[in-house]
Amino acid sequence: MPTILIIDDEYLIADILSFALEDEGFQTVVAGSGRKALEILDRERPDLIITDFMMPGMTGLELAETIKSREKHMSTPIMLMSGAQAYMGAERPDLFDEVIDKPFDIDQVIGKIHALFQARL
Amino acid sequence: MNQLKRLESGIKGFDALLKGGLVAGASYIIQGRPGSGKTILANQLGFNHVRQNGRVLFATLLAEPHDRLFHFLSTLSFFDRGAVGQSIQFVSAFDTLENDGLHEVVKLLRREITRQRSSMLILDGLLNARSRAETPLDTKQFIAELQGHAAFAGCTVLFLTSSQLDDGSPEHTMVDGVIEMGEDMVGSRAVRRIKMRKTRGSGAIPGAHEFEINDQGIAIYPRLECMLTRTGAMPEHPYTILSSGIDGLDAHIGGGLVRSSVTLIMGPSGAGKTSLGIQFLSGCSAQEPGLYFGFHESPQRARAKARSLGKDFAALEAAGALHTVWTPASAGLIDRVCYDLLDRVERLQIKRVFIDSLNALSRATADQSRVPDVLDTLLGELRARGVTVMASWEAHRLFDDQPSVPAPDVSGVVDNLLLVQFVQHRTELQRQVSILKIRDNAYDPSPLEVVMSNAGITMQKV
Repeated sequence: MPTILIIDDEYLIADILSFALEDEGFQTVVAGSGRKALEILDRERPDLIITDFMMPGMTGLELAETIKSREKHMSTPIMLMSGAQAYMGAERPDLFDEVIDKPFDIDQVIGKIHALFQARL
Repeated sequence: MNQLKRLESGIKGFDALLKGGLVAGASYIIQGRPGSGKTILANQLGFNHVRQNGRVLFATLLAEPHDRLFHFLSTLSFFDRGAVGQSIQFVSAFDTLENDGLHEVVKLLRREITRQRSSMLILDGLLNARSRAETPLDTKQFIAELQGHAAFAGCTVLFLTSSQLDDGSPEHTMVDGVIEMGEDMVGSRAVRRIKMRKTRGSGAIPGAHEFEINDQGIAIYPRLECMLTRTGAMPEHPYTILSSGIDGLDAHIGGGLVRSSVTLIMGPSGAGKTSLGIQFLSGCSAQEPGLYFGFHESPQRARAKARSLGKDFAALEAAGALHTVWTPASAGLIDRVCYDLLDRVERLQIKRVFIDSLNALSRATADQSRVPDVLDTLLGELRARGVTVMASWEAHRLFDDQPSVPAPDVSGVVDNLLLVQFVQHRTELQRQVSILKIRDNAYDPSPLEVVMSNAGITMQKV
């Protein structure tokens, strides 16, 4: 069962997304900041990372750069979810495998996740 | 005397209330019940700050996600989606508050202020900090620490809270300013009001001021009588006489109306007050334009009325000699109406104004006790700007043998007072004008008969 790490300072969004993904059969882990995500990264070894952009301490972009610099996680796919900064994600295909707009359509998000995993099999 | 650096808010009325704007680097509480407009005000201040090259950190201690906020803010013109995530950052500290406590929230915000180089911090949900605090001292410490860090970084702080904090609360004692927003019911009408309750380091216009939320955001209308206080001598205008538009009347009042005087026409409905005003305005020219500021008659009806007196308002308007404004009296907010009138006078270089009527203008305020002061200020300001004013006042008694209609409270600022009424003359009903007061001119007090026809208004001795 793939594990998905969700990072968002807005815990409600992280929670809603996490419940929806659990319903789909994924295992989820939630972190409220980039720093916390990096702390649990080695322990959880997620198969997919979904991160918000605008967060205290570290933006989603900085987080993705840090993750990609770690050998163990450099091939883990990362999705950026963002309202205003979606274009920034699209400009960095080296960091983000997929960009989802906020507020998101949950079915669309799930569809994109399935597609991502299928492409990687 | 030292003047502290101010942040211009971009909201005219707001800066006027604070006599220049928020003090840069100071901290403020904006409080008001849910729906009072504090989130809109704070965001408007934030986005305007960004437009002036400031950097804003908007942090929340509430659970609601920011996307919903963006959704609603997108209907307001100040919202700039492109600035979000760039010069204005929206972050949540709810999780940190829940799991790690107030101290960690301070740490998070301090780091964020430095990281984002923020010059303004907006913290929403201050009440949650209080709920998380174990003692009032903790709340004080939380605010003091945040203030300290922010001030060190030269960052102005706005705390938003939905609670009605009183003057003795720890929050109030700590901050430099308290801005209260609320809504009062007057009859079945809701009136939004804003108050500057505490303002260290800056003067402020005291009391409650009305505001509205429109598609530009918050628009504040400071109470007119506090804003336009002329302490110095009134500017002198050369003494010249202007025709009232009616020869028969001019002859009785020493040749006409003195320029930049205020004439009040009192009388019952149908007596011809509006017609006298139309006759007065028909003497306007492109060099000395006039303004018809009406509440009762739509521009179409005013033009039709003018036509029945043989006056072509449409031609005057086309020539730039006349401007017609119709404000339905139910529109409310007397200060907004007065600022609108003064703004047009300024912009269009208006020299003559007819206000139809002062009663309707007065009804626009929820607080009737203000009416005399507002009218006094408005008429005084128009006079000081060299505008000759005519205004109508509806009296309720239709018939009266003696011209003894009680003068409205404004008669102090009124130079000339005319009473139009119906008088039974044998078997017919006559309109008569009585001259009750003419300032600075000798006048003949005997009543005049008013005759209206498509050649205009004429007056002659009864």
